[in-house]
Amino acid sequence: MTNQTKSQFIAVASITSELSAVMVVAKEISLAAANAKAIAFRAGDKAKGFQPITDFINELAKETIELVTNINIYALVLYRLTVDEFQKTTAYNKFELAAKMAGDAVYAKSMQGPVDHARLSMQDCQRQFKRDVSQLLGQLEAVMHHARAARVIAANSRIEASQAGEYLQSLQAVAESVDKAAHTIHDNVQRCRIALSIYRNS
Amino acid sequence: MKTTKIYEGSHQWIMFGRDEGKPSNIVDTNQYVVRTANRCLLLDPGGAELFAPMMAAVLHHAPVDQITDLFASHQDPDVISSLGLWDQALTNAKLHAPAVWEGFLRHYSCESIEYVPIPDNGGTIKLESVELQIIPAHYLHSSGNFHVYDPQAKILMSGDVGAAIEAPDTPVFVDNFAAHVEKMRYWHQRWMPSNQAKRVWIERVRNLDIDILAPQHGRMFKGDDVKRFLDWFDALQVGIAV
Repeated sequence: MTNQTKSQFIAVASITSELSAVMVVAKEISLAAANAKAIAFRAGDKAKGFQPITDFINELAKETIELVTNINIYALVLYRLTVDEFQKTTAYNKFELAAKMAGDAVYAKSMQGPVDHARLSMQDCQRQFKRDVSQLLGQLEAVMHHARAARVIAANSRIEASQAGEYLQSLQAVAESVDKAAHTIHDNVQRCRIALSIYRNS
Repeated sequence: MKTTKIYEGSHQWIMFGRDEGKPSNIVDTNQYVVRTANRCLLLDPGGAELFAPMMAAVLHHAPVDQITDLFASHQDPDVISSLGLWDQALTNAKLHAPAVWEGFLRHYSCESIEYVPIPDNGGTIKLESVELQIIPAHYLHSSGNFHVYDPQAKILMSGDVGAAIEAPDTPVFVDNFAAHVEKMRYWHQRWMPSNQAKRVWIERVRNLDIDILAPQHGRMFKGDDVKRFLDWFDALQVGIAV
């Protein structure tokens, strides 16, 4: 296995790992939203500005979970494609070696067909992989967008929390947890993007 | 890869083995080819590491599109882990292999090659006018195991039965049976699990007219050495690891 193939396997495997962490964090945001909603309800008028924010946080968490679920399916496809490409590349290399070793064998030329076919299959796989990586990067960008939105919401939540009197600390804690979660999502997804970006379609 | 023609009549049997380029840490194997006018059968075509030299050697005898049949005596990697590569090289081929191993052998990848499952009681492989018999050899050593007998050439391809692990430049035929016995003893005692299976196989094989017994490792037996081997194997206690 070449270093390039090893890196490709690692890059694809790391997406699943990073995204499973994102999923956990997105679920935490969803929980924080439910918690915030309960506090805002108890706070009544004091947290009036906070109430619509909780719905927004919840919606954002749901969308992130949905996106990550889809990306995970896509990552699995990408993994299968990596395996396929590895097999096709191995076959191409072995076929070329067989043709070379056959030298002046009576039927050496009959190996040309399999060699050509294996090369085309391998190149098809490589192109498909680059195309799929580009699409996956697009989907990861959408998750990044959600993470950025969550950070803005966290900032707004802090402002609204400051008006909530005795509920200030509880609501600030919600804002903090959303902000922290958004950071984690941003960092994990960014690592996925860096790992994949060298394989994207140029 | 050393090539030895072991039968030439209306069709040919060719033995391939003693590959000088083989990595030293993998077991040496014998591959056999049955060649008819327009078709070619590869018996136990070997491991993935052996694919390129094996294919190159076969190209001296047949073009790729005439490699129409593969046979795997059982599921071991030294027998058939090259399957995924043959699968991509051959556009019109069949793999004759034990039915019980189908779901397992497909792990090596078998998409374009047609898997022809061999039932427990064996069957035949028809190669133009040549009809080869598939002889059950279950538990010798694999739970689903077959050998191939050619009544015309009087050759029995015997898989791991009769095998010995020897130096890479070993002659292809046994020339001193008494001296060869010690090279086979541990192999058969340790790898073959069942005395009952051994007895059933010997009984079956004694009814065949065999000139050459051709194992997957080590040297082939010819003439009187075939009977000597069967007598020796008959008396041997196997399954010693328990």
